[in-house]
Amino acid sequence: MNIRVSLSVLSCKFCRLALRLLGRGGTDFPGRVALKVCPDVLGRLAKNVTTIIVTGTNGKTTTARMIEQALSDSGISYFANRSGANLLSGVTAEFAMHSSMTGKCKYEYAVIEADEAAFKTIGKLVDAKAVVVTNVFSDQLDRYGEVTQTLENIRIGISHSKNAVLCLNADDSLTGSLAETVDNPVVFYGVDTPIYKTRVAESSDAPFCRVCKHEYEYDYVTYGHLGGYRCPNCGAKRPQPQVSVKEVIASDAEHSQVVMTQNGEEYPTTINLPGGYNIYNACSTMACGAALGLDPQVVSKSLSAFSCAFGRMEKFDINNVPLRMILIKNPAGCNQVLNFLTQMEEPFTFAVCLTDHTQDGRDISWIWDVDIERLVAMGDMIGKVLVSGNRADDMALRFKYAGLPMEKLEVVRDYLDLTNACVAEGRPCYIMPTYTAMLDLRGTISKHFGFKAFWE
Amino acid sequence: MELKICHLYPDVMNLSGDRGNVICMEKRLAWRGIDVVTTGITIGENLQASDFDLFFLGNGQPFEQALLLQDLAGEKAAQLKSAAADGLPILAICGGYQLLGNSYETADGTILDGAGVLDVQTKCVGKRLVGDYAFTCEELGETIVGFENHAGKTWLGSAVKPFGAAVPGHGNNGEDGTEGARYNNVFASYAHGCLLPKNPKLCDHILKIALERKYGSAELAPLDDTLELTAHAYVETKLEK
Repeated sequence: MNIRVSLSVLSCKFCRLALRLLGRGGTDFPGRVALKVCPDVLGRLAKNVTTIIVTGTNGKTTTARMIEQALSDSGISYFANRSGANLLSGVTAEFAMHSSMTGKCKYEYAVIEADEAAFKTIGKLVDAKAVVVTNVFSDQLDRYGEVTQTLENIRIGISHSKNAVLCLNADDSLTGSLAETVDNPVVFYGVDTPIYKTRVAESSDAPFCRVCKHEYEYDYVTYGHLGGYRCPNCGAKRPQPQVSVKEVIASDAEHSQVVMTQNGEEYPTTINLPGGYNIYNACSTMACGAALGLDPQVVSKSLSAFSCAFGRMEKFDINNVPLRMILIKNPAGCNQVLNFLTQMEEPFTFAVCLTDHTQDGRDISWIWDVDIERLVAMGDMIGKVLVSGNRADDMALRFKYAGLPMEKLEVVRDYLDLTNACVAEGRPCYIMPTYTAMLDLRGTISKHFGFKAFWE
Repeated sequence: MELKICHLYPDVMNLSGDRGNVICMEKRLAWRGIDVVTTGITIGENLQASDFDLFFLGNGQPFEQALLLQDLAGEKAAQLKSAAADGLPILAICGGYQLLGNSYETADGTILDGAGVLDVQTKCVGKRLVGDYAFTCEELGETIVGFENHAGKTWLGSAVKPFGAAVPGHGNNGEDGTEGARYNNVFASYAHGCLLPKNPKLCDHILKIALERKYGSAELAPLDDTLELTAHAYVETKLEK
C-alpha cells in the first residue's frame, strides 16, 4: 500500500462528495486534486485494470456506451468515464472513484473515452488492451489546430500503447494511416456500402493521398472523406476490414438494421440509435469485441440494447412530444445529423443552440461549412426553426443566407422558453446544441420536466 | 446585370467556414435581382482570369495548401497578378491571403513562393494568434469583426496598404497593429467568422466595385440588415468586455 496513492484517492473522493453535496457534478477538480497529491496516481491505479481507450474526433461517447453494453452482456465487470470527463484530470478521477483506499480497483475492465490531445498523456500512463479510433475530422480549430495535429496526437498516444490491439476505421485514410508506423496488431473495421440514399454536400478533410499526394478516387463514399478510397497513382487504398457492415437493410428515425460480418461470419444486427454515423460506432464496437475476444453474437445483440449517452440522440418525451437532442461539435458531425434529418418522412420542428465557450470551440465560423441549404430545401417538412445560445444571431444569419423563409425563424434566448416553444409546436422536435449548450439545456429539462441530471 | 464569381480552389481551401463569404455575395446579389454565377477552379484546371468579375480564395489546411502551390505557380499566378494590377476585385482570407503574398516561411525555415499578387511576406511562428477580434477600416468608416486563427505572421511591403488597424486583436502579426492588406481592389484579411455575413457593408462595398468595374456605374438597393447588424454588434460587445 502506498500512502501517496491512498491520500490521492481519498482526497479525490472527498472533493467529489463535497461537490455533490453542493448539488454539482464535475470530475475535473477532484481529478486535479488527486494528481496534485500523487502525480502518477493514474498509472498506479490503472495497473491491474484491463483498459479500453476510445478516441477520435466524432463518436467517442456513443462508441464507449456501446462497448459498455457489450462488456456488461458478456458478464464482465467494468466502469467508464461516463460524464464526458475525457481529459487527464477526469480520467484520473474516474479511476480514483472506482478504486478502494488502498488503490485497488473494484472492476476488471475500464472503458475510457479520451480526448485526442489528452490521449498523448493518458496513453503513456495507462497500458491499454485495446485502442479504438473512431475517425479524424477537422474539429474546433482554435483548440485542436488542423487535422494533421489531431492525427499526430493520436499517433503519439498509440506509440505509448505497446500492448494494445488497435481498432481502426478502414474507411478513413487519416485514421488508417495510424497503422503504418507501429507494430501493434490491428483490427480494421469499415462499412462496405453507401449508407445514405442522398447526402448533403460536404467537403473532404482528406482529398489527397497521404503517401504520394495524388488525389484519391472513391468506389463509394459513406460520408465526409470516408469510404472506399484508393490512390490511382501509388496504389494506396482502403485496407480490407476484418469487421464490416456488409449491408444496411433499413434505417428509420429510431434504429438501423444492418448485416455485420466478422471474419467471414454474418451477424444481422439492430442498432437502437438512428443515424448513419451510429452504424460506424456500432461497427467499431464489433471490432473492439473482436480485439478483446468477446463472442460476436453477444456484441451484436448488445447493440440493440444499449442506452444512448447524454445529448447524443437522447430522447425526451414532454407532453407527448418527442424531442431528440443531438450534440454538434464540428461540421463533419453536424453534416451527419443533417444527413439523418433529410431522410425523415414526418414533418418536424428544428432547433439549434449555438455557443462559443472554450469547450465548444470559440470559433463558430464552421456553421458556414454545414449544408444548411439542404435542410432548408426540405420545405414544408420543417416547421419552425428556433435558434438559441449566446451565438443565436449567427445561427439565425446562417439560416437566412441558406434561404429559410424568415417567418419560420425565431430567436429564443432562454432555454426553458426554447423547450416550451419546441413542445408547443406539437411535432417531433430535433434540437442540435453545442457542448455547453447541451449541458445547460439538459439541466433545464431535468429541472423542469423531471429527467436525470447529467452526473446522476 | 450579372456577376461572375470565381471561387479558387473550393475543394482544397475549404476550411473555417470561409465559403460563407461566397454564399453571402451570391445572396446579396440575388436579393437585388442581380444574376450571379459562381465557378470553382481547382488544381489542374485552367484559369482565364478575364472570364470573371470577382475572385474569392479561402483558408485551407497546410498539407493541402502546400500541394496547390505548384499549381498556383506559373500561369495561374501570372493571370491573378495581372488581373489584380488591372483592378479586378479579389477577396482572400487567412491561408488564401498568405498564398497571394510573395512568400511563406514554414516552421522549419523552408521558404515557399506565393503568387506574388500582394507585396507581403508571412513567417510561421510557434504560437497561433487566435480569438474574436475587430479592426477599424478607414475606407468604409466601419469596424469589421471576425475571428482570427493563424500561425503565420504577415508583414506588409511598400506596395500594399493595411486593410485596417486591429483593435483589439492581433491582426497581421500582433506587433505593428495592422490587419490585412489592400492593393487596388484586392482585399485580404485574417478574418473568419464568417466575415461578410457579419459585415454586410463590406460585402456590398466589394460587390459595388465589381459591378462598377463591369457596368460603369451601379447602385445597390438597401437591404434589411437587422440580423446581420445584431450578429455584428454581439461580437463588438463581447470584445468590449
